[in-house]
Amino acid sequence: MAVARPAFIDEVRQSEQFNASACMNCGVCTAICPMGLEHLPREIFRYVVLGMEDEVLKEQETVFSCLLCKLCEENCPAGVHIAENVRSLRHYFDRKAFRI
Amino acid sequence: MNRRKIGVYVCHCGGNISDYVDVEKVVDAVKGEEDVVVARTAMFTCSDATQQEIYDDIRELGLDGLVVASCSPKLHTFTFRGVAKRAGLNPFQYTQVNVREQCSWAHTDDRQGATEKAVRLVRAGIARTRLLRPLEPTVVETVPKTLVIGAGIAGLRAAIGLADIGLSVVVVEREAEVGGWVKDFGPMYPRDKEGHELVRQLEAKVRQRENIALFTSAEVVRKAGSFGDYVVDIKTHGKSAMTMQIHVGSIIVATGFDTYRPEEGEYGYGIDGVVTLPEYKKMLDAAEGPLAYHGRPVKDVAYIYCVGSRQGDAGPHQYCSRFCCSAAVHSALELYSRDPSARQFHLYRDMRTYGRYELMYRESREKGSTYLKFAEDEPPAVQKGADGRLVVTIRDQLTGQKEVRIPADLVVLVTGMVPRENDGLVGALKLPVGRDGFFNEIHPKLRPVETVVDGVTICGACQFPKNASESVASGLAAVTQSAAMLKQGRAELDPQVASVDPGLCTDCGVCYETCPYDAIRPKEEPEGRRVAVIDPATCKGCGGCAPVCPERAINLEGYTQAEIKAMIEGLAREVV
Ligand SMILES: Cc1cc2nc3c(=O)[nH]c(=O)nc-3n(C[C@H](O)[C@H](O)[C@H](O)COP(=O)(O)OP(=O)(O)OC[C@H]3O[C@@H](n4cnc5c(N)ncnc54)[C@H](O)[C@@H]3O)c2cc1C
Ligand code: SF4
Ligand code: SF4
Ligand code: SF4
Ligand code: SF4
Repeated sequence: MAVARPAFIDEVRQSEQFNASACMNCGVCTAICPMGLEHLPREIFRYVVLGMEDEVLKEQETVFSCLLCKLCEENCPAGVHIAENVRSLRHYFDRKAFRI
Repeated sequence: MNRRKIGVYVCHCGGNISDYVDVEKVVDAVKGEEDVVVARTAMFTCSDATQQEIYDDIRELGLDGLVVASCSPKLHTFTFRGVAKRAGLNPFQYTQVNVREQCSWAHTDDRQGATEKAVRLVRAGIARTRLLRPLEPTVVETVPKTLVIGAGIAGLRAAIGLADIGLSVVVVEREAEVGGWVKDFGPMYPRDKEGHELVRQLEAKVRQRENIALFTSAEVVRKAGSFGDYVVDIKTHGKSAMTMQIHVGSIIVATGFDTYRPEEGEYGYGIDGVVTLPEYKKMLDAAEGPLAYHGRPVKDVAYIYCVGSRQGDAGPHQYCSRFCCSAAVHSALELYSRDPSARQFHLYRDMRTYGRYELMYRESREKGSTYLKFAEDEPPAVQKGADGRLVVTIRDQLTGQKEVRIPADLVVLVTGMVPRENDGLVGALKLPVGRDGFFNEIHPKLRPVETVVDGVTICGACQFPKNASESVASGLAAVTQSAAMLKQGRAELDPQVASVDPGLCTDCGVCYETCPYDAIRPKEEPEGRRVAVIDPATCKGCGGCAPVCPERAINLEGYTQAEIKAMIEGLAREVV
């Protein structure tokens, strides 16, 4: 059982640009990702908005594998700022996991 | 008896009928029936060409009776009545025989049997037609005044519409104030116009108009008379309690809806902090900044959708309430405007923010709302957590069915619309109530505000769940329908009604109870006798009273005792 922590999203959010909740989970980004990243961005965003911190922490590899090429962002029908959101996530890992 | 001249037309219906009924054989079998002067088949009887043929026969052969053996009378009664009328034959001297639904479609395994049955049915139709008398519709003068029952947003708007067309209006509202649900609302979707402000404007317009009389704390207790001239008793309560009688030509019912009240324990209802959508809307409208509930700040809000709607086989409310997805999403936006950092979770079955309301749904997601879908058979559970906060548990489909516990300061049950209790009014007006408890129209597409009671229309959320603009739109449709009827100044009523032979009636009283429209009343005769009398304007010609009368004193025009007997003889000739 995962316990949601609604306030978690505020710890990840780096800027007003962060809009993970606008994602409607269509899956276009996953299909199009040249790196074949399976959990990024949509599933990790879901963990963030639900405040499932443990699940997010497991995804360190994935978050840093993203090329920030924005291919997904170009094709996202919901206008999700995917690259910006990934940057927010990296900041979060910097602070939380690497303590920098 | 004078000889009659009857024409009989048996239809192929393309092949719909003739594939299984030998239509030529039917014509051969009936052309020798008494009084039949012409009998033919036609490929499509309803076609313009065959209508013309029937028209010519009526004129050239001087037909005084018409039998069409084709499809259901529901489909073409008015078509062939029209042919008769154009050709100078009284439209009530025509009989429709249904050999499609009742023969060819019902007996595809038995061509001979289907044909024999068709012969009997056509013979019965001829037998009836031999006895039919010409009838003229009853004409009533209409009173140019409409009664509007219920002064919610639909009823108020309808009253203004009627008044501006030049009709007099009487508005009867049960509560002390007008406006229904909307009068208590702050911002409403779409466009955030304040509900109480809308009602204030409508009420001012109603009060400005001299041809609108508004009665609050008032109710309709009785309705008599018929379309065009209904006699209605109105009772007012409170300080100026009185009863009055008014005459109106038509009636618009706009009595609205009630909100679903969850049972104790349903999604945690009863636990402190679990509220319904109307309760939540009230809190939101009253708040100026961030919300607080019982002195505690509200930061995390969880909404549970479809409470009391779409109940499947489990409950009486199987419909979708339509307004609630949009109203809940709109509430979420209202909360963001009070407190942009509020965190909102929406637990839904399907999002139905149809049409333009989709934009509110998108906006709510952009502002941070998170949506989680649950299945009907696995609803979320609401509990009080150890720390005193509420916890909602749901299985999240988008994270591989993980069970997620969402803490919340407030849980909003997005409750739907249910029919408002209105037994007294339903009884007084004989309103048709559907299986779901809302009032029923005649035809959802083509006659969407008329009821089976002539001159009585329905609009707003008493008909089925509607939002405010849909309620107003149907209110204006009811206005058009009422005005179209009353502006002609006269109305034609169907003459196929029942009547009592006073010589045979013994005042046994059985029929008084039978009539579903209250058309039968006792009347004193000069010689001190009392007999039953049927008001032709109220009678709907349902025929319910005729068979219950032990004296056979009641005859329904077009289906008299003699006509029915003749039909049975025509049907069963070789058998009895
Ligand atoms: C919480 C909530 C939020 C909503 N938000 C929105 C929104 O933002 N936008 C929107 O478009 N819609 C909204 N709606 C829907 C809106 O309230 C309805 O569409 C609207 O009220 C329907 O109007 P009505 O006139 O048909 O019925 P009602 O508002 O129910 O009015 C019916 C009137 O008839 C009276 N009445 C009933 N029986 C009798 C009788 N026998 N004799 C005399 N009078 C009688 C009642 O007292 C009442 O005044 C919301 C509804 C709810 C519950
Ligand atoms: S393409 Fe956009 S909307 Fe679709 S899943 Fe990816 S982030 Fe979400
Ligand atoms: S409008 Fe939405 S919340 Fe209301 S019953 Fe329909 S699906 Fe459920
Ligand atoms: S025919 Fe029907 S409506 Fe007419 S008086 Fe008889 S029972 Fe009433
Ligand atoms: S049932 Fe027949 S006899 Fe009895 S009151 Fe009615 S009309 Fe008269």
